[in-house]
Amino acid sequence: MRGAIWVRAVLEHARAVPDLPASVIALDGAIEARPYRAIAVVPNAAARFPRARGGEFGLDEGLAVARAVRGAPAEAAILSIVDVPGQAFGRREEAAGLHLSLAAAVEAYIGERRRGRPLFSLIVGRAISGAFLAHGMQGGWLGALRDRGVEVHVMSAPSVARVTRSSDGEVARIATVVPATARDVATFAHFGALDELFDVADPLAPTPQEIERVRAAIGEAHRVGLGTRAPSSRLETPAAATGRALARNVRRRIDEAW
Amino acid sequence: MTPLALRRSYVESTPRERIEALADPATFREILDPFARCSSPYLAEQSIVAQSDDGVVAGRARLDGRDVGALAVDGRFLGGSIGEVGGAKIARVLERARDGAFLLLDTGGIRLQEANLGLLAVAEICDAIVALRERAPVVAVIAGRVGCYGGMSIAASLCSQIIMSPVGRFGLNGPEVVEQEAGIEELDAHDRPAIWQATGGARRVAQGHADVLVEDDLDEIARALRAAFAAAPNRERCSLERLAQRFSEEAPA
Repeated sequence: MRGAIWVRAVLEHARAVPDLPASVIALDGAIEARPYRAIAVVPNAAARFPRARGGEFGLDEGLAVARAVRGAPAEAAILSIVDVPGQAFGRREEAAGLHLSLAAAVEAYIGERRRGRPLFSLIVGRAISGAFLAHGMQGGWLGALRDRGVEVHVMSAPSVARVTRSSDGEVARIATVVPATARDVATFAHFGALDELFDVADPLAPTPQEIERVRAAIGEAHRVGLGTRAPSSRLETPAAATGRALARNVRRRIDEAW
Repeated sequence: MTPLALRRSYVESTPRERIEALADPATFREILDPFARCSSPYLAEQSIVAQSDDGVVAGRARLDGRDVGALAVDGRFLGGSIGEVGGAKIARVLERARDGAFLLLDTGGIRLQEANLGLLAVAEICDAIVALRERAPVVAVIAGRVGCYGGMSIAASLCSQIIMSPVGRFGLNGPEVVEQEAGIEELDAHDRPAIWQATGGARRVAQGHADVLVEDDLDEIARALRAAFAAAPNRERCSLERLAQRFSEEAPA
């Protein structure tokens, strides 16, 4: 829901990109008179692979995102609208090589960014695991709604409890002492990866003023060239100085020893 | 092929032994070795004993004289999972490497106990692989007991060449995760022959998802690694046309 709502809301003068599966929406439009292509992965109850009907990244979704990214108009920046519950869990998917579908999307995003196409990502819902790696994490600029329905993690909450063989309560307790295991966007912001947080009264019905603030932030980020930054630049943000102090220390020590 | 009695098994070797055996003799220089005491501070809180190298062996070595990054994930420690320290080691070595890098991947992917810090690191690793492969070979070896899964299966897919043995498995979600998320009717994680047949090295090479199939033999892998560095990179692995064809073969009738 959130993905479909926001992907249609953010661009001005938007028109749909044809020839994509129903689970991937792409629109060509504009923000502050600059061309953008916005892309979202959405649920599709009729998807040909049954394990990818709830908005998950399945075999077709990764390829379609890759195609939408690579096929964007020459001057357009890309805006990835992120509400992805995760990847498809299926026997067929694994046999076919689902990892390559996601890798195709990652390769498309990295390739376009390295050729100079600015990438912006807006997290409006769930940003889980491989699906977030394949759709959003390679953006040079990362924004998110400040909302309880926004979640960043590597696995769904019940699965974490099952895999670690602990209770939901224990998982919740650990999240308070190990922030990296928390799911809420405010905690994720401490790692310095988010450039902007947006307050919205109702994420399912953004107001014109709320959309205008998102457009203004992306427009400004575009003007100052943030869209082409590599992911490692997130280590240089003020929040990362504390939130990712250990990673920075490891990198510095490697540089000293190199 | 080395006679069986003289063969040194990759599976039976430690990550450091593997790097030593594959690189030019006596050229591996480890950075942040176990004596650097660079381990994860997040595990004690979760009743897990940390490992002093965080399960990643990283450094610099020579390969046919090339000055390369050498990386090995230790599948014996927390399933070869990638946390903040190990992830930063891999990313930085890839960013610094001059003439390419090899990655010995025995990893279940991002470490659940350091979830979002691992996620951020893997995004950096993917970018670093693509940046490095534009100017030098980046070769992945998937030949350990764990295989290569999760976010690191995406990273491996971006490499110039992938070498696998029949023991190695390569996929996004491990069989236990699929069974748990989708039910035993979808996939029985105990059906080992079916899992290896579908996702093991022989199948992945036959599909064109990996490039070279080797035996569980360090000498053979060392030769394959040098050949992969000399070979042209595989730019077709993630080609949309190729994958669309492959995936349609799996579509339900």
